[in-house]
Amino acid sequence: MTDLFTQHLSEQIQQATIDKKILQVTGSKSKVPLSADTQEVCMLEHAGIVNYEPSELVVTVKSGTKLTDLTAVLAERNQMLAFEPPNYGDSTIGGTYACALTGPSRPFRGVLRDFVLGTKMVDGLGQPLTFGGQMIKNVAGYDVSRMMAGSKGSMAVITELSLKVMPLVEEVTYYKVMPEAEAILLMNKMAGTTLPLSGCAYYECKFFYRVFGEHPKQDATPCDNSIWLILNPFQPKLEANQKLWRVDTEGPAPSIPHTLAVGMCGQRRWVLSDEAPAPYSTLWQSYFVPRDRDTPPVAKLKKGLKNVFDPHHVFKAL
Amino acid sequence: MNIIQQLKAAFPEGSVIADTEQCAPYECDGLSAYREKPLAVVLPSSIEEVKTALQICKQNQVPVITRGSGTGLAGGALPLKDGIVLGLSKMNKILKIDPLARTAVLQPGVRNISVSQAVESYGLYYAPDPSSQVACSIGGNVAENSGGVHCLKYGLTVHNVLSITVIDMDGYVSVLDEKDDGIDLLALMNGSEGLLGVIVEVKVKLLPKPDTAQLVMAGFDTVTECADAVTSVLEQGIIPAGLEMMDRFSIKAAEEYAKVGYPLDAEALLLCEVDGSFDQVKVDTQRITEILKSGGATTIRVSQNEAERIALWQGRKNAFPAVGRFSPDYYCMDGTIPRKQLAFVLEQIDALSKKYQLEVANVFHAGDGNLHPLILYDANKPGELQQTEKFGGEILKLCLDVGGTITGEHGVGVEKLDSMCHQFPEPELKIFHAIKQVFDDSGLLNPGKAIPTLHRCAEVGQMHVHNNNLPFPELERF
Repeated sequence: MTDLFTQHLSEQIQQATIDKKILQVTGSKSKVPLSADTQEVCMLEHAGIVNYEPSELVVTVKSGTKLTDLTAVLAERNQMLAFEPPNYGDSTIGGTYACALTGPSRPFRGVLRDFVLGTKMVDGLGQPLTFGGQMIKNVAGYDVSRMMAGSKGSMAVITELSLKVMPLVEEVTYYKVMPEAEAILLMNKMAGTTLPLSGCAYYECKFFYRVFGEHPKQDATPCDNSIWLILNPFQPKLEANQKLWRVDTEGPAPSIPHTLAVGMCGQRRWVLSDEAPAPYSTLWQSYFVPRDRDTPPVAKLKKGLKNVFDPHHVFKAL
Repeated sequence: MNIIQQLKAAFPEGSVIADTEQCAPYECDGLSAYREKPLAVVLPSSIEEVKTALQICKQNQVPVITRGSGTGLAGGALPLKDGIVLGLSKMNKILKIDPLARTAVLQPGVRNISVSQAVESYGLYYAPDPSSQVACSIGGNVAENSGGVHCLKYGLTVHNVLSITVIDMDGYVSVLDEKDDGIDLLALMNGSEGLLGVIVEVKVKLLPKPDTAQLVMAGFDTVTECADAVTSVLEQGIIPAGLEMMDRFSIKAAEEYAKVGYPLDAEALLLCEVDGSFDQVKVDTQRITEILKSGGATTIRVSQNEAERIALWQGRKNAFPAVGRFSPDYYCMDGTIPRKQLAFVLEQIDALSKKYQLEVANVFHAGDGNLHPLILYDANKPGELQQTEKFGGEILKLCLDVGGTITGEHGVGVEKLDSMCHQFPEPELKIFHAIKQVFDDSGLLNPGKAIPTLHRCAEVGQMHVHNNNLPFPELERF
């Protein structure tokens, strides 16, 4: 049975196709601004928990639900989104999924799409579709739900998401003052031990690390957990001419000049630079700047997939 | 020149097998009820040779069935009689181990277990552990998105792969990386059953080996109490490394087989393993024991040392052959269900068992809802095989009805094409076919598998085990 919201969405998509309008799916517009040449499909009204089964470790949520609302509901049952999504200001779960954003726990708990179990969506023909489900283990059919994480609304309108949730854990943060290169080496060495880590970062001359559960006494200074909110999302004040890059790299990769912060055990670097400082770099001002670094065969695949879900190109391209 | 001559001309001697006898080992995978002799088997030893093989197949419009170790249970690597089997077993080198970054770069034919063995000296291991891990290959693991007993805590293959290198039918080589922006092609390739490309290199995540592991075994008077106890453990915020349940029949069979001291008076048995640092494991074991006690466990045993832990697992790990001793044949299902539905589903399976007059033993990965009912039958009795298949079909339908899926970890292959039609409506199936078209417009990569055609959803078959002779009998199946 198709609900009224989905029905309306289908009609809106079909009408836009007839009118040759480009649709842009939005949440709180905290990460991607609305383009002047598009018609907005705002998902904010489509909010709320559809189903929550703490003991099954699964929550199904409408895509317009605010991250703060979702995490509050989970916290009541001592659970959390283990991918620690950054909140850019009223960010929604749909927008977070669309941009595939993961927080500091990434090297230890995984990325956003690891926790995606299923999706409901409406494609570019206005068809309601369902992929995946509520099960942690499910290998029936291609994994469309995980594939679309990061597609920024360019293929379909995601209306519902089923996510794996994890128990909330008590975490404590410690820091040590040391040079960056030394800290990057140390955080990677520590990540290879059984110390229960959930975060490793370097910021303002300090190596910060976060530990959960039972662990031995640390030879470092304990501090509060606020550093992880400074880094997630990382939004430093920039001069008018400065360009900030989000760089993804191998954890132990050497220091990059003009790095403001190192996160995710070295896998994430925030760098000031005029040019892309490394292969996996995204220009990051107050929002994402799309990048185009796919090889021709990969670009062809992505274009082909876009056409599968949105043959009339009614949704704004990436 | 025909295709066999072309392949033989392009490859070193011994790399192309075309005679019937030598092709025999490639006629089936772990689903041995289905067999087909391919045109030829090609065994490349490099990326360049894979490209050559694909190019020749493309020129001749001949289908390609990529094969790792052939341990899959759903017929995903079943040959086509007019197709080539591309066996990647020669590409079995570990190309790079980076202990500091905790990664390893592997050729697709590397066996799952050998990754952990190779990095053991660094205190690291590769987490996904399908029961066939001593034989199955990493390329096959990616193609099937293989799980394992520990996947509730450590994830499936998709959660542990950082990048892959794939080749398409036109010979283009692409690296798909977790760090890529936009549409997540790496996630899509996991579990795509050889339909979207040939995986020629895999970079995996390595984890620090836990200091220790401890197993808590508990018997219960009812399945409901046992399932509720699992719920309580998870609700208390503990994610065990392994959470396995067995029903009365399985307990009895396993105990008779392995003699490990399972409680024979229990209706349901729970094996709950925690791992991690010594301190954490101690705390968790104590908490779990308390939860299970207050949940009505009639017997509780906590492993006191590594030998006892391994011994207690033996019954569960041998449950399939143990059950198999009670009947000439059995048929293994692989549905998933929400755990809260377990008691209801087992009740329904019991009713179906009476209806079909076929016995069933149930083992259950309780943490992630993956149910393996084993239907006992005798293929020599006229009509019993057909009855068993109907029974199995009803079980999968039941899994779907309670909100589960038709396959948790074995994949669709040729085995569950029929059930796919129950799980997915036409628009979704059309999308799947269109995705395949994007990656493989020639339709030559493992055609006819994993996604049923809209017109014909009729190819059915399951893991049939005759006289307890499992394909790959040396492998544990759990």
